[in-house]
Amino acid sequence: MYLNEMQAQVRETAQAFADEVIRPAAEALDREERFPSEIYDEMAKVGLFGVGVPESLGGPGFDTLTYAVVMEELSRGYASIADQCGLVELISTLLVRHGTERQTGMLPEILAMKRKVAYCITEPEAGTDVSGIRTTAEKDGDGWVLNGGKIWIHNAPVADTGFVLARTDKAAGNRGMSIFIVDLHAQGVERGPKEHKMGQRASQVGGLSFSDVRLGPDALLGEAGRGFHMMMSVLDKGRVGIAALATGIAQAGLEAAVEYAGVRKQFDKKISEFQGVQWLLADMAKDIEAARLLVHSAAVKIDQGLDATKACSMAKCFAGDMAVARTSDAVQVFGGSGYIRGFEVERLYRDAKITQIYEGTNQIQRMIIARELMKKGARA
Amino acid sequence: MKLLVPVKRVVDYNVKIRVNPDGSGVETSNVKMSMNPFDEIALEEAVRMKEKGVASEIVAVSIGTQQAKETLRTALALGADRAILVDATSDPKQDIEPLSVAKILAKIVAEEKPDLVIAGKQAIDNDMNATGQMLAGLLGWGQATFASAIEISGGSATVTREIDGGLQILKVALPAVITTDLRLNEPRYISLPSIMKAKKKPLEEKTLADLGVDLTPRLRIVHTDEPKQRSAGMRVGSVDELIDKLKNEAGVLS
Repeated sequence: MYLNEMQAQVRETAQAFADEVIRPAAEALDREERFPSEIYDEMAKVGLFGVGVPESLGGPGFDTLTYAVVMEELSRGYASIADQCGLVELISTLLVRHGTERQTGMLPEILAMKRKVAYCITEPEAGTDVSGIRTTAEKDGDGWVLNGGKIWIHNAPVADTGFVLARTDKAAGNRGMSIFIVDLHAQGVERGPKEHKMGQRASQVGGLSFSDVRLGPDALLGEAGRGFHMMMSVLDKGRVGIAALATGIAQAGLEAAVEYAGVRKQFDKKISEFQGVQWLLADMAKDIEAARLLVHSAAVKIDQGLDATKACSMAKCFAGDMAVARTSDAVQVFGGSGYIRGFEVERLYRDAKITQIYEGTNQIQRMIIARELMKKGARA
Repeated sequence: MKLLVPVKRVVDYNVKIRVNPDGSGVETSNVKMSMNPFDEIALEEAVRMKEKGVASEIVAVSIGTQQAKETLRTALALGADRAILVDATSDPKQDIEPLSVAKILAKIVAEEKPDLVIAGKQAIDNDMNATGQMLAGLLGWGQATFASAIEISGGSATVTREIDGGLQILKVALPAVITTDLRLNEPRYISLPSIMKAKKKPLEEKTLADLGVDLTPRLRIVHTDEPKQRSAGMRVGSVDELIDKLKNEAGVLS
């Protein structure tokens, strides 16, 4: 295997944690739609949050490939839990790259899950097209006043600190947005009800509204007017993370399907002896491996400082589509049982769908791939 | 207090063991290897002693091929401060018998002068359960095997041992050798930061010549066999048929 010894060790730890702690809890967490604080506390002890945060700032300082390996393993346990890891990774990456000393000082709390974070971008009129955001932060003395609202925000019902994209200059388009670090317990912040979703139900998602929320001078992350660009700068890593997460969901489906096909008997034979079932399993395995290789190659491109945009979009798009198709196959191998609540593959199929939607829809990923092809040629 | 923890690289406990076609041993090439689980328990106990302030330094030692460095780096990530590889062979198939291992460890003990050696009670590959006992014998130290609880105070260790009839509590003067049983503790997950930190911890290499130990085997493996396959059961139609089969086929009733 091409993973180095440390990366392999990290995978072993994440794999054991997913098998022993996460996967056995997933069914109940999905049913109860519950925020699993106890699992996050354990994960924090094992150092599974903030994989890329440098040692000087309280993290382990691993590369993107290691992060992708962790995401796949955690997601194989339960995608909602991997998504929390992904969220912390993105926020940490933003803080490490753009935070002041005072702002990065909150990293140890974030990595310990003592301070829960939310990444607040999406609004009713601004989904894929972020430039449509209407939340504003107006200069007021040495600080700002925040007004507006966000929807579908991961962790909104439970978070302590929001990283909020707001417009600071109405005339400046993409150069008129900034990211603010907002205390979500502050006056003027209201939380909407928790959404009840198709899948990844342990992820708490909801809306936030801000009315005249006072922000101090420390609230601005990086430069004013650079919010859009900072957000875009972590997109590649975000996409690799979600691609790895999608791969992990499908891998869990393959593991369940292989085990079931080896014990379920029809016509006095294990169903794994029927070619129809064998082809389903083989297609699942080869597509999962292909997705994994796309993920790892995109991650290595990021680590080597190469242009990774197309690679990350290809990984995200392929892995998301693959996860939906191949978890559907897993349900198929289980037959009627696979359609019943409580069987893992039923949940996996639901959990997979969002990977075609969040972190940039797969239609957008195709647009990016095509745009890169037109811009740089087919060989680049 | 200084602790020495020997760790062995063995076939991972999750691997389905396959016997070599020639019956000389079990298949070890292209097989996942990891730290012997009992050694992991020994190391976890050592780390807990250090965290409690009972121990000040943990040295992990492994005897085998260069690949055992991987196992030692796992030990460093789990919390050992230093590691020593005794490069004893280049042949991963070579089994180093307990007496040779004990002799090598005795040399390491003479150099390192630990107050306590904590070892797994046995390695899950050969299940010899002998090295700890032989080491204590060679050193002339006290020993407490199959520990399920260890308490250190005032130059001695109080060790609870799991025995057939219940629990036996021993007190041994330090320095001593303690071997660990399954229920002593549950090893922690190796944390990501400690994997990174392990890279910077010292790993020293020694050769057999440095230690002057002869590995000539005293034991000979005659043959290795897979466990017999269980034959399929059968359904009987009546109690009479069952009794008939027990009498006339199985021969367990007369």
